[in-house]
Amino acid sequence: MTAEYDVEFVEREDRDARFLVRGVTPAFANGIRRAMVADVPTMAIDTVRFVENSSVMFDEQLALRLGLVPLTTPPEGEFVEDDTVTLSIDVEGPATAYSGDLVSSDDLVQPADDNVPIIELKDGQRLEAEADAVLERGKNHAKHQGGVAVGYRHLQRVSVVDDLPEFEEQESQIVRGVIEDDGELVPTSEFDHDLSNRYPGKQVEVEDVPNAFVFRVETDGSFTVEELVTRAVDSIEARATELEDAVQL
Amino acid sequence: MELRVTESTENELSIEIAGEDHTFMNVLKGTLLEHDDITAATYDVNPEQSGGQTEPILTIKTVEGVDPLEALEEAAADVRGKTTAFRDAFEAAA
Repeated sequence: MTAEYDVEFVEREDRDARFLVRGVTPAFANGIRRAMVADVPTMAIDTVRFVENSSVMFDEQLALRLGLVPLTTPPEGEFVEDDTVTLSIDVEGPATAYSGDLVSSDDLVQPADDNVPIIELKDGQRLEAEADAVLERGKNHAKHQGGVAVGYRHLQRVSVVDDLPEFEEQESQIVRGVIEDDGELVPTSEFDHDLSNRYPGKQVEVEDVPNAFVFRVETDGSFTVEELVTRAVDSIEARATELEDAVQL
Repeated sequence: MELRVTESTENELSIEIAGEDHTFMNVLKGTLLEHDDITAATYDVNPEQSGGQTEPILTIKTVEGVDPLEALEEAAADVRGKTTAFRDAFEAAA
């Protein structure tokens, strides 16, 4: 049985995208979504050695904050689980320590954003620490989630059935997501999510298109959306291959 | 992924698939049900805190003359086919 899929991008940026997939079963769509959230490994700081911490916060609190800083994750195959990358930070007050102050020992593993505040340091306070980042999966800790907002909705087909009766006032009809109008894909944000804006004086019918899902994927900057989706699919494929091999024995 | 057969007759198979969760099991179950010679496919998984059986158990029933284990192997190959097709379609659009 070979499946036929059709993918079309609706909106697209590095970290944020919306794409339509046709011909996908709900089970498979959900498998991909779950894999994106929990099964694609990303780098994050896991161990911190403090050299000096005279800030107002405890070491543990800062360690958690450092862990939550998204780090760029190297291409597949460059790292395996259990490999570590060391990052160091040294900031003296009065100043705010930002994620951009982290100095990495590896070019491939850098803070994804430079403007994540870690702590505000007053005069005479200092933060100096060394941290080890590891590759782990979102299943183990939320800091390893590559996909931060991942979901899907049915594609909705809108068709005009009739004109509205002459003296009837049109009620607003809110839909969210992406609609299909005569084969054209329109994000609902274009008409303020209200069908009465797009079809004034018309009676419309909305129906879910079977097996057509619009995915909305946002990453934390560890990698691009494309990378996240392909790695999620890879992880499902790896498990299918493993099962096939295990059954054959 | 460790497999352990918990029950096995000619047309019915219960198998524990250790280390998996809904992510893969539901995809697998959905794929199994697409086959005409599989009459029933389901999986059961308990939360980690429940103690007892926490690994998913997959149960497959097939029509007369079809080995459930072979059906499972076929379904695993189907999942692989789906992921390959999905990746190709995605990369073509990207």
